[in-house]
Amino acid sequence: MGGEFLGYHRADGRIGVRNHLLVLSVGGLTAPTARRIGAALQGAVTICLPYSAGLLGEDERVRRDAVVGFAAHPNVGAALMVGDNPAFMRDAAQAVAATGKPYAALTLDDCGHDALTLTDRGLREGARLAIEVSRARRAPAPVSALSIGLECGRSDPSSGLVANPLLGLVTDRLVAAGGTAMIGETLEWLGAEHLLEKRARTPEAATKIRDAVIRREKLAIAYGVDLTGSNPSPTNVASGLSSIEEKSLGNIAKSGASPIEGLVAYGERPGRPGLWTMDASAYAPKSVTGFVIAGAQIVLFTTGVGNSYVSALAPTLKLSANPETCAALGQQLDFDASAAFRGETGMEESGAALFSRMIEIASGLSTCGEVLKEGDETVSRFVAAL
Amino acid sequence: MSDPAQSGFDAIRLASADNVATVLRPVACGDTLRLRGAKDARLVASQDIPLCHKIALTALAAGDRVVKYGQTIGEATAAIRVGDHVHVHNMRSLRAARHGG
Repeated sequence: MGGEFLGYHRADGRIGVRNHLLVLSVGGLTAPTARRIGAALQGAVTICLPYSAGLLGEDERVRRDAVVGFAAHPNVGAALMVGDNPAFMRDAAQAVAATGKPYAALTLDDCGHDALTLTDRGLREGARLAIEVSRARRAPAPVSALSIGLECGRSDPSSGLVANPLLGLVTDRLVAAGGTAMIGETLEWLGAEHLLEKRARTPEAATKIRDAVIRREKLAIAYGVDLTGSNPSPTNVASGLSSIEEKSLGNIAKSGASPIEGLVAYGERPGRPGLWTMDASAYAPKSVTGFVIAGAQIVLFTTGVGNSYVSALAPTLKLSANPETCAALGQQLDFDASAAFRGETGMEESGAALFSRMIEIASGLSTCGEVLKEGDETVSRFVAAL
Repeated sequence: MSDPAQSGFDAIRLASADNVATVLRPVACGDTLRLRGAKDARLVASQDIPLCHKIALTALAAGDRVVKYGQTIGEATAAIRVGDHVHVHNMRSLRAARHGG
């Protein structure tokens, strides 16, 4: 059961669960042009990176990984990239071309620095790509081709009690079938890192996980941040979470009981299937985008009191186990786990139902976030810029 | 995996070492709670406790560890009676805190 889904087989062997035309602004200067083009084309998803010049070190690495990660993403049927830096664009376009994905790359420099000319040329290229995208058809694919991001936002104690353990069951089943899962939000391992370390495949992986957590803890101390009221956030605290340790212990339940292969950097694609930790911000939008850059085709996102954020490229399955939230926000949830909270259905049964829902979504069922066009991508920044 | 909640229970203890439980419905002071995770356990709430918040299963003194999921989630900052609401007013994190720990 659940051994296959219907996906889009891409030229590089990866499988998409959506077939988007992506309009991607590589920097802030071309964002208005990208939005004009995206608004004019059927089925286009527009992503705009808000910055480009003066990035250093990790930010420069992440910027390139983000551009290529979005444009070559398996959920993207074709990509139109617009930007303001020909050298960067040439490099990014080469990486996208190597995957065999249909694309076009245009810069302001190619258009006499005229944003309206770029709009005109982009619209023509985009229209051509949109028709190209429409040729794709779904075909059976093994669940082992799936990579999922595990997210929680606006958590409450019901998240750690029911919703996150349900994600753990889905994760264990997907990983056992040969698929990939990623858990991020490094700060939310604090107080539970010893449990993650024990599950690490190698001592090196355990050390990396521990070091990543301690680095975040030292950052909080260096800036004089009292985590209570910051993380857990005021919303978390109001709903009953009293400390980062309590929140973390609930958070890591999303990762199930599978061995942890290792730690990847923000947006870094795991080198092989299995369960991976990603060293990333605990802020849900940045965390989700890190998973998407790293190739997640689907995000499973639990919430306690409600959180509307979803990825633009990866359908985001939203669920809650809090009976009050399910009653109030039921229409905006893709899976209602309150029956498991109330004990009316067992955890194993609910976990199997959630896995089936994920496969349905992988095969084309729309999420609430998709039909409401909630999607966005929010790339992390790390260091100072010039 | 055991089911966290079952019809007929008002609170759940997640591990045998835990000294707090999570209430599965909004609780009023004086309510008698049926506790899942501890055989035949009954517990009287000494305060109103909102849905999903914690209730003390044992008395705690300031400095005592608060245990949930079988793990330390912080320390008591005041004396806590059995049945009390346990939250940021009487417990705090031990991590990344300026008070040390």
